[in-house]
Amino acid sequence: MYCAHCGVRLADSERHCPLCGTKAYHPDLPSPTGERLYPPHRDPAPPSHSLGFAIVATAVFVLALVTVLACDLRFYGSVTWSGYTAGAILLAYVVFILPTWFRAPHPSIFVPCSFGAAACYLLYIDLATHGHWFLSFAFPVVGGLGLLTTAFATLLRYLKKGKLYVFGGTVAALGAFMPLVEWLQHLTFAGSVAMGWSFYPLTALLLGGGALLFLAICRPAREYMARKFFI
Amino acid sequence: MPFPQKSHPRWLRLDNAAKIYPAARNEKWSNVFRMSATLRDEIDTAVLRRAWEVTIKRVPFLAARLRKGVFWYYLEPVTEVPIISEERSCPLAPMSKKETRRCAFRVIAYRRRIAIELFHSLTDGSGATIFLKTLTAEYLEQRYGVSIPAEAGVLDRRQSPVPVEWEDSFLKHAGTLAATRKDRTAYRLHGTPERSSFLRLTCFQLPASAVVEKAHQYGVSVTAFLCAAIMQAAARIQQDDTPELHRRKPIKVLLPVNLRPLFGSTTLRNFALYCKPEILPALGDYTFEEICAVVKAKLDSEVTAKQMSMQIAVNVRDERPLAIRVMPLFIKNMVMKAVYHSVGEKKACLCLSNLGAVTLPASMTPYVERMDFVLGVQATTPYNCGVLSFGDTLYLNMIRNIREPILEQQFHCVLQELGLTPTVESNEKE
Repeated sequence: MYCAHCGVRLADSERHCPLCGTKAYHPDLPSPTGERLYPPHRDPAPPSHSLGFAIVATAVFVLALVTVLACDLRFYGSVTWSGYTAGAILLAYVVFILPTWFRAPHPSIFVPCSFGAAACYLLYIDLATHGHWFLSFAFPVVGGLGLLTTAFATLLRYLKKGKLYVFGGTVAALGAFMPLVEWLQHLTFAGSVAMGWSFYPLTALLLGGGALLFLAICRPAREYMARKFFI
Repeated sequence: MPFPQKSHPRWLRLDNAAKIYPAARNEKWSNVFRMSATLRDEIDTAVLRRAWEVTIKRVPFLAARLRKGVFWYYLEPVTEVPIISEERSCPLAPMSKKETRRCAFRVIAYRRRIAIELFHSLTDGSGATIFLKTLTAEYLEQRYGVSIPAEAGVLDRRQSPVPVEWEDSFLKHAGTLAATRKDRTAYRLHGTPERSSFLRLTCFQLPASAVVEKAHQYGVSVTAFLCAAIMQAAARIQQDDTPELHRRKPIKVLLPVNLRPLFGSTTLRNFALYCKPEILPALGDYTFEEICAVVKAKLDSEVTAKQMSMQIAVNVRDERPLAIRVMPLFIKNMVMKAVYHSVGEKKACLCLSNLGAVTLPASMTPYVERMDFVLGVQATTPYNCGVLSFGDTLYLNMIRNIREPILEQQFHCVLQELGLTPTVESNEKE
């Protein structure tokens, strides 16, 4: 049989032309039924997840934690500076190493975990320094950023299209979040509610987010940018 | 005594060409190639396994595993015969380090076909042909009770391994004068990478006599003819890709040259070097006759014992200094891998390996329908090409790890323009 599109002479086993993909068909000839060169394709099993890195990294972090606490207890008899260092080590572990224990870590689980760990660390610092700023400042800021980042990471992971909308919306939302951060800052630390510095990131991020949303909506603009900035 | 006594060393150094393969391998290039023989009846795997057990005693250093020393890799015969592998949807599944440590080759049975896939540190195409012929001969003897003489590349399985079969012929035949390694970067064929390590194989079948006649019309050998056709196809792809003449890169094809006839070696290990014919599209479009002339001139000037001994000297020189020999293996691996991946693959568009006309003893021929030779792709070069003739059919297996059949389409056009109409088959997903 010959390919109707490119004229290639096909072996009896070929259902499609390997050179152009056209289905092998002739109205006067029977469908190809020859023996295929190889068995049909089956998607391979996903590769097994190697835990070597996670185990080694955990061991390194545990060693660092124990060393820091041991030094502090040895020289000062109680947990002083080592509490902050240990907290930072634990935070770094939750953010960077904990996801490596899993083959396909879900962002909707690990991003909130990371922000939760950050909130716990800040709570420890607040309690250790008697700052009284956790509930009125740190918790809402970390919570807000955590919600925004979780939404961003989850949408990016599961949406097949519309990624520019996600980026644009996230950047704009971050900009809109800045006045809230400044208001909480003034409420907790300065006492008054005069808005000042948040105007600048608000403007910049709203403009950036707006530009990304415009590119998402306007296809000619998108193509123009792709032509100018391709790598 | 029906089976040979243990008359070979317990371990063996890698030959000079083999040293780069374990160092340069990664998940995209595992340096494996395949040879297969399609018989007329379904394969009996129990008989094949028994035949395999006999054959590996005859060629213990082709049926070997790769082990790691402190300074170098080395080979050991396998301690037990692994199971016969199942055929996948594409040939040349990557061979992991764990697998090569256990057994650096596979025997695969699928319907009427026996295939062997070997890690390139064991041997080259010529050595693999002898291995496959010997295995197939033993299988046919056990299955059908025919007596197959030890001729036409079939070894006597009752004989002990012969020392010349495991010698490193590179060390023996290195010249005193070393060639230079300077070389220009070649044009790189490219396309959309295939996911999940699936390799697409396209087999062009041509009447061997027609190809020989056509090659003689142009005054070249079959290898030179096919090389010229592939270079023509690659040049046309670059023409579409890069309209500006001055930006076009050289088109080069790696042609492995079997050194055994030149030096009278009978080793079964690697003993091949490369010739690299080259055209410069920046100078303008070449006619097919011009490309044939370039390839012929290159082969005629380079494929001589003196020239090849200079090439061998370059490679052997690099492994001889004491500073290199005492360098720990893991440092050698890092350096060789870095040098190879930054320089090695950029020097040719693809490799075209032609094993020529494969002959069998007359008593085997009625049982064997066809034979194939498939090279693996490399890490960044998406195409490779293995060729052999069996009977009156030339089988050209073109393998790629990109989705678009760009080279196959152009190559087919070139063959048609030359008056040849191949039959095409593939392992395309249904």
